[in-house]
Amino acid sequence: MIEFIFLLPMMTGIIALFLPVNLGRGVLVVTALLHLQVCVMGWMGKLEPIFGAFFGRSPEGMLVLLVTSFIFLFIAMYAVSYMAETSMQSEPIFIGCMLLFLGTMSMVALADHLIVLWIAIEATTLVSAPLIFINRSKRALEATWKYVLICSVGIALALLGCFFVTLSMDVAAINVPLTFTSLNAVAERLDPFWLSFGFIFIIIGYGTKMGLAPMHTWLPDAHSEAPSPASALLSGALLNCAFLGVYKFHTLMHLAGLGSFSSNLLIGFGLVSMVVAGIFILRQPDYKRMLAYSSIENMGIIAFGVGIGGIALYGALLHLIHHSLLKSSLFLSSGNILLGFGSKLVALVGGLTRFLPKTAVSFLAGFVGISGLPPFGLFISELCIIFGAFQAGHYLAAIVFIASLVLIVAGMAQIVTDMSFGGGDQVEILVGEGFFRVMPPYVLLAASIILCVWLPDEIYQTIINTISVIGGTIHG
Amino acid sequence: MINMTNTILVIILLSVLLSLASNRLSALVRIMALQGVMVSLTPLFLEHHSNLGSGGLIFFQIMILIKGLLIPGLLFMAVRKVSITREIEPLIGYHASLFFGLVCILLSGYITSRLQVSLPAGHELLLITAITTLAAGLFLMMGRTKAITQVIGYLMLENGIYLIGTALTKQSHTLYVVEFGVLLDLLVGVMIMGIILHNINHAFDDVDTTLMRRLKD
Repeated sequence: MIEFIFLLPMMTGIIALFLPVNLGRGVLVVTALLHLQVCVMGWMGKLEPIFGAFFGRSPEGMLVLLVTSFIFLFIAMYAVSYMAETSMQSEPIFIGCMLLFLGTMSMVALADHLIVLWIAIEATTLVSAPLIFINRSKRALEATWKYVLICSVGIALALLGCFFVTLSMDVAAINVPLTFTSLNAVAERLDPFWLSFGFIFIIIGYGTKMGLAPMHTWLPDAHSEAPSPASALLSGALLNCAFLGVYKFHTLMHLAGLGSFSSNLLIGFGLVSMVVAGIFILRQPDYKRMLAYSSIENMGIIAFGVGIGGIALYGALLHLIHHSLLKSSLFLSSGNILLGFGSKLVALVGGLTRFLPKTAVSFLAGFVGISGLPPFGLFISELCIIFGAFQAGHYLAAIVFIASLVLIVAGMAQIVTDMSFGGGDQVEILVGEGFFRVMPPYVLLAASIILCVWLPDEIYQTIINTISVIGGTIHG
Repeated sequence: MINMTNTILVIILLSVLLSLASNRLSALVRIMALQGVMVSLTPLFLEHHSNLGSGGLIFFQIMILIKGLLIPGLLFMAVRKVSITREIEPLIGYHASLFFGLVCILLSGYITSRLQVSLPAGHELLLITAITTLAAGLFLMMGRTKAITQVIGYLMLENGIYLIGTALTKQSHTLYVVEFGVLLDLLVGVMIMGIILHNINHAFDDVDTTLMRRLKD
């Protein structure tokens, strides 16, 4: 039963709410391990859905699921060590909500029914809200309020979009179950007007959750105010889930022969996100906000790549995998810096290489990776997207794309070099580097390098299966 | 015989206008309870929804319970906890809000007539009500500063979306399990918002969102 993949963390999550702290930490790591195992079993095709009307294995869903499960394992290890250092107030709630968060995200990845997908995405917002305001500081509360309200309204609009998609079915007098599998099969007969109308609402709705500009306003606040393990999850896993919502509807649009409409919307939103991120990343005084804006940029890149199609689509899905690995690694490293220096301001952090040498290496390496330089995977994916854009004749868009990439790399480089090598008068480090807070960022970085030089055949095949439906290839 | 559907829809429209003009939070919550019940009842009186199974009946009972009792109850608790009875300084005045509501009704009438969906007879008013409710919900979220009024605006937005769903789509597509999931999300959402509200009140000594201006670029 494939439903076990999300039921397992949901059940343990609810139990963990009532467990004593030490036991809860154990449950967190053990569940993460088990989840990865069940997820791999799902990949091997050992699990069949019981509620086939609601859930199913789609290649894009399985891809997101594997990425989520993998990074969750290492974030969980990090979180245990992090919680021990910070003496968090309500730790059982944090652990429970982390597990519930994993459960709802897995549910998003496996959902096949339109409304079930919506329910799962809305549920991710609700269970991740406590993760952000766990410290109950004024700033955290403000960030959570914005997050919950903006995302809820956005997702409510996505529900409206789902109703319009249903209407496109009614207008065309088609009577099939409301699942992506069956809708894709009859896509050509759906009413094009209502389908396009619905897609606009869906891209605004799920785009809000994905952090596409101009609906991104909640993202820098929430990602910077959350405790670092939660930030890593929000950036590395949650954004992918929201993207999955957009992607599934984009596939439907493409099959209905409206691919150019949805592609243009995606290219537009993607470019706006990249430009906005580029503007705000320059001279950003807060390094966690810098990372958050970088997430907006990368989601923009993915949306752009999907919109371009062809080989860029392959690049976009590769980008999704590597961005998750690198960004969660960066957020974990920044958590170490925050613990060590006690501040999120770039101005108060300096001399990382002297005070936190191991973290400095992982932070710098993460920066190299997120900038799209080899040997990390974003190099290949961004190259694919640029290549695809030129090939498809989107010259102007490709130039804007490259310009914003350069802008962002320049903005980040200044901040990162300031932090790593700059002055740094403070010699007293509040919390040193523990093994379990140093190892996870390194493993995630290593995973990106390995996947860059050697992509396992199963993953490669899954990506090809995903993109071949809407005309993506790797043969330019 | 009085047309039941239209009566209910008119009550919903009036509740929307009332909520735009009212400045007492407890009255606002009561209006939301009434609106919730009416919105849950609407599908029952529509023609293509008339043959309900037992599953459907149970679902609508739960829905009335949640929308009419549980959520307003939660809101009542929140209002009492934060001990604020009035929205003091709305960004947009009450008369202007009321006027906005009336303009909304006109506009939704225009949109409905332009859409040219082959609506079953008598559904025009349903769509007008739905769009007005949705727009008024968005308006409340933007035009009021108290966090609790924003939650009420969100609820109104959801009511509007639900009405659009019932107006446009046929019953055959809606599975009660799925609808129940949507409802559960709404309930948990209001609960979480209530908890954050309580904490905001604790930290800021007020639930005024204009006090929250720390995070920006």
